[in-house]
Amino acid sequence: MTASDGSAHAPATLEAEIGRVGRALHDAFPSHRGRPLKALDDRAMNLAAQDDELRAALFRFVDVVPACRSLDDLAAHLTGFLDEVGDQPPSLRAAMRMGDTRAGRAALGAAGAAGVRHMAHRFIVGEHPKAALPTLRKLWKDGIAASVDLLGEATVTAAEADRYAARCADALATLAGAYDRLKEDPVLERDAIGPLPRANLSVKVSALTPLLRPEAPERGQRDAAPRLRALLRQAHELGAHLHIDMESLDSREAVLELVLDLLAEPEFADGPSAGVVLQAYLRDSHDTLDTILDRARSTPRAQPLVVRLVKGAYWDHEVVEARQHGWSVPVFERKADCDANFEALTTRLLEARPLVRVAIASHNLRSVAHAIARDRMMGGAAGDVEFQVLRGLGDDLGHALADSGLRVRAYCPVGDLVAGMAYLVRRLLENTANDSFLADQAHGVPLEQLLAAPAATAS
Amino acid sequence: MSAAALPPFRNEPVLELRRATERATLAVGLGELRLPLRVPVWIGDERRDGEELVSTDPGRPERIVALAASATPEEAGAAVAAARAAFGAWAATPVHERAAALLRAAAWMRERRAGLAALAVRECAKPWPEADADVCEAIDFLEFYARAAIELQGGDGPQLLQVPGERNELRYAPRGVCAVIAPWNFPLAIPMGMTAAALATGNTVVLKPAEQAPGCGLRVVEALRAGGVPAGAIALLPGGGEAGAALAGHPDVATIAFTGSGAVGLELLRTAAEVSDGARQLTRVVAEMGGKNCIVVDSDADLDEAIPAIIESAFNYAGQKCSAAARVLVHESLHDALVERLTGAVAGLQVGPADDFGTDVPPVVEQDAQERVRRYTELAARTGDISTGMSDVPDEGWYVAPIVATGLPPESPLLREEIFGPLLTVEPVRDVDEACDRIDALPVALTGGLFCRNPRTVAHVIARSPVGNLYVNRSTTGAMVGRQPFGGNRLSGTGTKAGGPDYLLHFVEPRVVTENTIRHGLVV
Repeated sequence: MTASDGSAHAPATLEAEIGRVGRALHDAFPSHRGRPLKALDDRAMNLAAQDDELRAALFRFVDVVPACRSLDDLAAHLTGFLDEVGDQPPSLRAAMRMGDTRAGRAALGAAGAAGVRHMAHRFIVGEHPKAALPTLRKLWKDGIAASVDLLGEATVTAAEADRYAARCADALATLAGAYDRLKEDPVLERDAIGPLPRANLSVKVSALTPLLRPEAPERGQRDAAPRLRALLRQAHELGAHLHIDMESLDSREAVLELVLDLLAEPEFADGPSAGVVLQAYLRDSHDTLDTILDRARSTPRAQPLVVRLVKGAYWDHEVVEARQHGWSVPVFERKADCDANFEALTTRLLEARPLVRVAIASHNLRSVAHAIARDRMMGGAAGDVEFQVLRGLGDDLGHALADSGLRVRAYCPVGDLVAGMAYLVRRLLENTANDSFLADQAHGVPLEQLLAAPAATAS
Repeated sequence: MSAAALPPFRNEPVLELRRATERATLAVGLGELRLPLRVPVWIGDERRDGEELVSTDPGRPERIVALAASATPEEAGAAVAAARAAFGAWAATPVHERAAALLRAAAWMRERRAGLAALAVRECAKPWPEADADVCEAIDFLEFYARAAIELQGGDGPQLLQVPGERNELRYAPRGVCAVIAPWNFPLAIPMGMTAAALATGNTVVLKPAEQAPGCGLRVVEALRAGGVPAGAIALLPGGGEAGAALAGHPDVATIAFTGSGAVGLELLRTAAEVSDGARQLTRVVAEMGGKNCIVVDSDADLDEAIPAIIESAFNYAGQKCSAAARVLVHESLHDALVERLTGAVAGLQVGPADDFGTDVPPVVEQDAQERVRRYTELAARTGDISTGMSDVPDEGWYVAPIVATGLPPESPLLREEIFGPLLTVEPVRDVDEACDRIDALPVALTGGLFCRNPRTVAHVIARSPVGNLYVNRSTTGAMVGRQPFGGNRLSGTGTKAGGPDYLLHFVEPRVVTENTIRHGLVV
């Protein structure tokens, strides 16, 4: 544990404060949606969370929907996947029988596609930025800012990288224009350091270059740099914020070096506001934070770097890749260890202000309450730390935080169903993972337990 | 020691090259490499140095990697005679002692991973990740066959039916002298694999490495001798085709283990089938030859996954793997999208030296290969449409541009002949059955790929696929010891599976002993 971990000298007070904050937030949850999963009334998801085979079948179906050529083709895939579920509940057996006739297949295919579209709409706010504007305006009215993420197919060619960059440019312009016309909201637009941009776009380096090679990070850096530089310039001109997402460990070095190098270029000393992501599930995330803070110190910028702290969305990928190669697993394998690390990083980040701005992106009530409590004990004012939630997964928490006067930003993916599939599958995985906070919450785990300090493995 | 006393086999982990610290270890290995190596004809304790055979860096042909003696037919005979003389003692060495020698050889290699990988980079232009994987695979073969030999020969043998009054036993004895004729494209792993299989089971070996890779061959023999394999049990016979032919035709060679081209493999099979006067044994041939590997892309494939996997399968190591993809058979509904994205991806491939971590396509192994690939490229340009990389191809060195060819006539040699270079063809099909028909029409059947998400279609293609190794929704290269036992069917090989549970059976002869246990009417 780092020297900055304050739990050594103030454990009782901090825990008491976390309890108070957590209970207050919980009480502020919109009452009709106290349990997100149940409220969403998605029986398929609940069923899937309980049965691994069914979960696999559901994911494979969701994944293949955009590639199916007809309702018949859809039904063939659905029954093909369900065929491999050993112990079929009666509802599935009925679905399988529908697959026997042409009319049945058409009905089954249509129902399956509708189900997937329904799920997709929960997470994806619109097919393109303009279509997303009504949702974004509504969020702003509710006291919630947004970061828009453009979903896309994998970038395997230079033309695709150019197209993604053009979409980002278009999104920046659209968002800047739209947010200009919204009513002022001091909580969302200013912190102790200064003004905060309204328009906020998250971009992925893997979409800005087809050349991200794990063993040759400089190739992807070199290729993505001109496209990212153009977006930074545009964001600067428009007064928008550009956030660079982090993906799997394979590209971490390329992404981090690229962003930190570009931001150190003299032309970006005055802006734009930009950010990076720190993934708490990585065992070496403290080293990454060291790198980020060192670079922030050595290249002061008018608008400090925003560091978004997340758990990390590629847990399964990282574990499987490491196991297949015989590498030590780079992520914490116990949830409590990851949660404890999240809190330690939270503390370090909060202490690092004003060198960086801090965004805590978590749906874990305990992690969020910890950040709030820690910030208060450090004398922070509401708004000096930002909270981020995912649209479709963290809506209730987001509203509760906003209603408590805190600064909240919802991460809002925009794109069509084909492009959104990988994102959707990751969110579904997260939603149905047995050890997810949301699942615990949905299944009625007592609040005291949800707010308990993570019991990290002694190290 | 039994197989159970050893920790279970696990693959030697490749370096985690996404971490800068691990990349740095390889750069150190390259810096410490002292070239040229001197590679002798090494029979028992006799070394004859020479410079008749020269291996050079394919990316910089004036850089000499190894100066090797080239074995004469007489030396081939002497090597076989020495191996035959050493056979009795090595065969009589308990299997667990033989296995222990192999495990020590694995440890020797493990201590020198960076240097060995660097040698493969220089001598065969294997890019770093592949060179590192080649070293790991050589270690895997040692570890895997050591355990497999103990399993095969260390116990009581397979259970036979037993009735009162007799005792039946099945044992596996080594066959004798094994000639290993190895390729250059996995310059450490494949010679080590074939050699380790023969040695583990009690055979003695004469290893003829590829003439393009004598330096790597030397390291294979050094590892085994350092591990404690007696000098007589493993001879190094660098040389060209003449040495290989002399070995293959030698009446005292019991087994030929070969990996290489179809032409040479078939010649070896013919030679071996010829029983010479005074022969005391039928020569067995374990042969792994070429392929014309196809990847089928069905209408429901995810191109985001398929394109990178196809690129990797076709262009890594410049397509110079027997498992590399040569043809893509894509559902007509996805054909245009696939070609557009594939050609766009190929345009971004970087052709360059093997020691550059950023290289996608290294040079091919030698000038002949460069000329061959260029001939096929010209044919493709003349009879179809070709698309290539945008980046410059260096002038010096045996570089060729990666090529995607489309619109070829169905009878084109490009769809039939093994090119062994970075040239990939794409053709549309009506459905997977048409793709299966075209694959079935090929005389070779090594690897295959399928991108499809309908489980029933996957099962259907599996049932129709003749290939030795079929990969579903992934690249077709990179078989791992113990996980993907590797080898082809039809004219691609003798159906043996390197790195699999039954590979060692090709290096032994079964012997059954039945003992009458009745004396004077009593079972004793």
